[in-house]
Amino acid sequence: MKEKYIHISSLLITIVGFVFIGFLYVSEPRTLAEVATKSQVAIGTYEINKEEFGRGLAAFRAEDYGGARLAFERADPEKRDPATQFYIAYSFYRQGWGRVSNDDALFQSGLAASDRVLAIDPNFRTSDGSLGIKTATELKTEFEDGLKITPSDFNPFKLTRERK
Amino acid sequence: MQETDKEIEAVEVIDKGELDTVEEKTIVRFPTRKQSQTSSGSYATYILLPAVFLTVTLLGGLRLGAVDNAFLFLKPALICLVFAALTFVLFVRSRMITIEGWISEDRPMLENAGNIAVLLTLFTATVQLYNSLLPEQGLTFWVIGFCFFWTIWNNLFADFDPKRLLRSMIALFGLAFVVKYLVLANITAAPTGSWWQRLFENPGKEAFTWLLELPQYSAGTGYIQFFALSFYLIGLYLLPRQPRQ
Repeated sequence: MKEKYIHISSLLITIVGFVFIGFLYVSEPRTLAEVATKSQVAIGTYEINKEEFGRGLAAFRAEDYGGARLAFERADPEKRDPATQFYIAYSFYRQGWGRVSNDDALFQSGLAASDRVLAIDPNFRTSDGSLGIKTATELKTEFEDGLKITPSDFNPFKLTRERK
Repeated sequence: MQETDKEIEAVEVIDKGELDTVEEKTIVRFPTRKQSQTSSGSYATYILLPAVFLTVTLLGGLRLGAVDNAFLFLKPALICLVFAALTFVLFVRSRMITIEGWISEDRPMLENAGNIAVLLTLFTATVQLYNSLLPEQGLTFWVIGFCFFWTIWNNLFADFDPKRLLRSMIALFGLAFVVKYLVLANITAAPTGSWWQRLFENPGKEAFTWLLELPQYSAGTGYIQFFALSFYLIGLYLLPRQPRQ
């Protein structure tokens, strides 16, 4: 091999090596599987696991919200898909909603999930007709209202409201 | 250290009687087979060495979590860069590497770039080696950090040749490895059970872990860092004073 090509190879090895090492130290994957997933994110080929998403959706429709969340998290381990994150947030809403009072812990988690949706896609709008709340902004407002204690919380007519 | 001077090749050729003398000027005919030797030296310098030093750069900050063996990538502390810079000065002072032999105006830009790339990988590997050998926090970080600084500072003003410096480096890094991954790792309590349980079962280890702020890592970390240290020293051994021309 000509010396010139050896020098070019050396430069390439060094550049590729530093990029890879920099990527690992910045993204901090905890397992080899995460290395692969984070690499897909970095090169723009990341896709959610459709099978797990389908399982999550089936569990969501069957009102098994805990199971749905687990499946959605497996489907989108990098938390980069707005639709999956929206369903996760929605599952917190439905599970935490109460006619008399809401579950604050679940609503807090839901608020964080809805924030994630807004961070990924601020204009996200679901196409699922079975959901009463269509956008992440509306969902976030529901969570924020649910977490506040206001005089309207003591309105007895609130007992007639329905979960969305 | 690899000897790269042309004089040595010239002496080999003289032994074979391929020497002509014309008007008091010595002409040395280099045999064609020398070309392949140059290439193999170039492979070692430009392909093998960056690969070795990049491996050290990768592994130097890698630890394994004590509970789940998860990867933990620790970025080097600022002091590691300072130590690496001082060590680099030491390499140059002892003529382990000659800067003018690696980077020169007379060389083509591509060759200079290749040489800078090799030196850069050496520097980052040195940074990560200090990252590997320095305890992460607490009193031990400062004590061992001070020992490193003291040794390097003393060495800066001593007369070294490359072989002695390499031996000194092996001794320094070897001792630091033993202290961190054998001595300190053995007085670190394992994070199993409750704090009270650990305190009753092994009060000494728990006290040392708490007092010295020792991080708890999986046993695999020591093995990884052993390979990182070995690769680094092999890389230093293979590093020529200056690349073949």
